[in-house]
Amino acid sequence: MLLDYDRLGWLRAALLGFTGLVAAFLLLPVVFIVLLSFGSSRWLAFPPPGWTLKWYAELFADPAWLEAALTSARIATMVAILAVVIGLLASFALVRGQFRGRNTLRGLLLTPMVLPVVVFAIAIYAFFLRIGLGGTTAGFVIAHTVLALPFAIIPITAALEGFDKSIEDAAIVCGASPFEAKLRVTLPAIKIGIFSAAIFAFLASWDEVVVAIFMASPTLQTLPVKIWGSLRQDLSPVIAAASSLLVLLTLSLMIVTALIRRKLSK
Amino acid sequence: MSGNLLHRQPILRRPDGVGGALPALTLITLFFVVPVVALLLRSVTEPVPGLQNYAILFGDGTYARVFFNTFLVATVVTAVTVIVAFPVAWMLAIMPPALGSIVFGIIILSMWTNLLTRTYAWMVLLQRTGVINRTLMDIGLISEPLPLINNLTGVTIGMVYIMLPFMILPLVGTLRAIDPMTLRAAALCGASPFNAFRRILLPLSLPGIAAGGLMVFVMSLGYFVTPTLLGGTSNMMLAAMIAQMIQSLLNWGLGSAAAFILLLVTMALYALQLRLVGAKRMTGGI
Repeated sequence: MLLDYDRLGWLRAALLGFTGLVAAFLLLPVVFIVLLSFGSSRWLAFPPPGWTLKWYAELFADPAWLEAALTSARIATMVAILAVVIGLLASFALVRGQFRGRNTLRGLLLTPMVLPVVVFAIAIYAFFLRIGLGGTTAGFVIAHTVLALPFAIIPITAALEGFDKSIEDAAIVCGASPFEAKLRVTLPAIKIGIFSAAIFAFLASWDEVVVAIFMASPTLQTLPVKIWGSLRQDLSPVIAAASSLLVLLTLSLMIVTALIRRKLSK
Repeated sequence: MSGNLLHRQPILRRPDGVGGALPALTLITLFFVVPVVALLLRSVTEPVPGLQNYAILFGDGTYARVFFNTFLVATVVTAVTVIVAFPVAWMLAIMPPALGSIVFGIIILSMWTNLLTRTYAWMVLLQRTGVINRTLMDIGLISEPLPLINNLTGVTIGMVYIMLPFMILPLVGTLRAIDPMTLRAAALCGASPFNAFRRILLPLSLPGIAAGGLMVFVMSLGYFVTPTLLGGTSNMMLAAMIAQMIQSLLNWGLGSAAAFILLLVTMALYALQLRLVGAKRMTGGI
């Protein structure tokens, strides 16, 4: 009865206990970093000798942090828009197209997800140095869009495969142009896929470290590059404060995603 | 005869062509394929044409150690991740939804939290004077701090932490797809729980374990951030070595040769994984 929750007997207690331990392990660094950001010890003693907000004050006093966060947000937003538009167009071809090499094309477009990022990072770094896009916002956006594209294509193709094309055909029979039918019938039907694609593409850029390290210039730094630079110097509690804000952002993103998905699926 | 209307107008059945894929194809060709191929060409043309970069990589003990470290860590991380993930996925597959959604929430939170944030937390936790060593000393398990960071132990802990969600989530799908009846039948026929596990549950979940395990292994081979921050300079892994060859040593020939080896191994394992699970099932896992 190994797959009956109610009939597992003693095994259930053991497995539940183990699951609890793993959940605690997964939660540990996240909770720890938030607690640490309020601790008063510069040397990150834990439990902290006292509580303070001074690391947050230090964080906000340094404009470089805010600037890096804004740069990241700006790049990630452009990446999300580009990846969704390009991915949406490609998904129609991948799902409905009947041409030779369709599976090869699918494989090719998804390869950036599989190739080790460091290989792509040095390749695009060398390429951009040559064509003069190194250290530019455009360079960042292009490189991150390449990496984000698979994360946009996967949920959109999945949604499109689950959509019955005859509904779109019906709209055309009723007098809609093919474009109009896609815009007003198909797109609303796959909006959850599109929404997931936007979130995943945004996160793919927002969290990206390796390409960003190579691409960054002294005047153009994303948030991960700023954190990376600070980490290599020391383990200052200011990083804990910045990290806690990122955890807060993740939590809000999870909640918003859950709410929007619920609303969209109605 | 509801379908007749559409059948009489075959023009409606005209599929979308390849045209829509052109922007994506252009982007990937121009900014992915071309740069990567150009990089790999440098491995056989710099500093002089020939295979000397590969000869250096395979002939030198220092590089052999990096390759060994990389495969060792990837193997251990994969094994530990599979063993830890399986019971969790098993519970998640059959747990009451209310309880399960809490565990799922924790997994997603951990997975979506900034990679550097999580690694930073482990850097602090695993320090000589960090919480883990202090706690172990306080309860008397150890008398002096364990070396948990700047070595392969630290890298393994940090990597298992990052890989666990990638193993648990697909495995839940595999386990949910198994018909509980098969196990009920086994119990009715007198199989002990151990035998039912060994002869039914485990074999039936093996495709999921293999697919997830391969994915974790491939990701671990090319991982850069966590090994660099938790491993210290004397325990370099392949991705960090490649970055260093390019960034600090400016040795493009050697760096791109190492990148080519990493690419080749990754792609071979990826092809194997596609054969195991099929492209659709794997990419649908997100």
